[in-house]
Amino acid sequence: MLLFRSEEHIDRWRSARELPRGGVLDPNVAWQLARDWYQDKVNPQWRRHTVDETQALFERLGLRGDFWRLR
Amino acid sequence: MIDPSIRLDESIEGRVRQFVFERAARTGVVPQTPAIAEALGLSGEDVSATLKRLAAAKVLILAPNDGDIWAANPFCAVPSGIRVIAEGNRYWAICAWDAMGVVAAVQAETAVITAPCGDCGEILNLQFENHELKHANGIVHFAVPAREWWKNIGFA
Repeated sequence: MLLFRSEEHIDRWRSARELPRGGVLDPNVAWQLARDWYQDKVNPQWRRHTVDETQALFERLGLRGDFWRLR
Repeated sequence: MIDPSIRLDESIEGRVRQFVFERAARTGVVPQTPAIAEALGLSGEDVSATLKRLAAAKVLILAPNDGDIWAANPFCAVPSGIRVIAEGNRYWAICAWDAMGVVAAVQAETAVITAPCGDCGEILNLQFENHELKHANGIVHFAVPAREWWKNIGFA
């Protein structure tokens, strides 16, 4: 997951590597995703998120479609 | 793979995991086998074997070849070019998402992330105040579909 200046920069980067367009997130959405994913990582009671929990997190943030589908 | 029925916090895997993540969060430095062994009173062999089990369980990532921790996500053990300054510490992250993850994991009130544009290399900034993202230039791109992230986590 890389930062880019703009969509134009993403397209130039992926075209040079013959990669399809991936998932493009506004930084605020990426922050919400990172916060919900990692906020308990240092907690002794941390456990891995289940597939269902992760899918629900994606849904909550509007991350839908095949790119974000885990099954 | 770790038996999911084991209470992670009471097992050797749990003790090692907790030490690694707490140390990384508190200091910005991801401890390696000798420091973990000394702190927990374990042998280096036991720690190495435990790290391999934690890596197999996708709790952390080992560097190829030498068995050192590459990343205890979101904390990266080696300079990566993606830097987080928060809580008086300097952290590295392996990607932009993990950099934000550092801010979340250490519950930083204020933080600054600097990372190069993946295309042109211009340094971009994300600034956090009052536990929220207040300023950002740039956008985030995930190159790999979510269900394939762990097939090549270094590229994803």
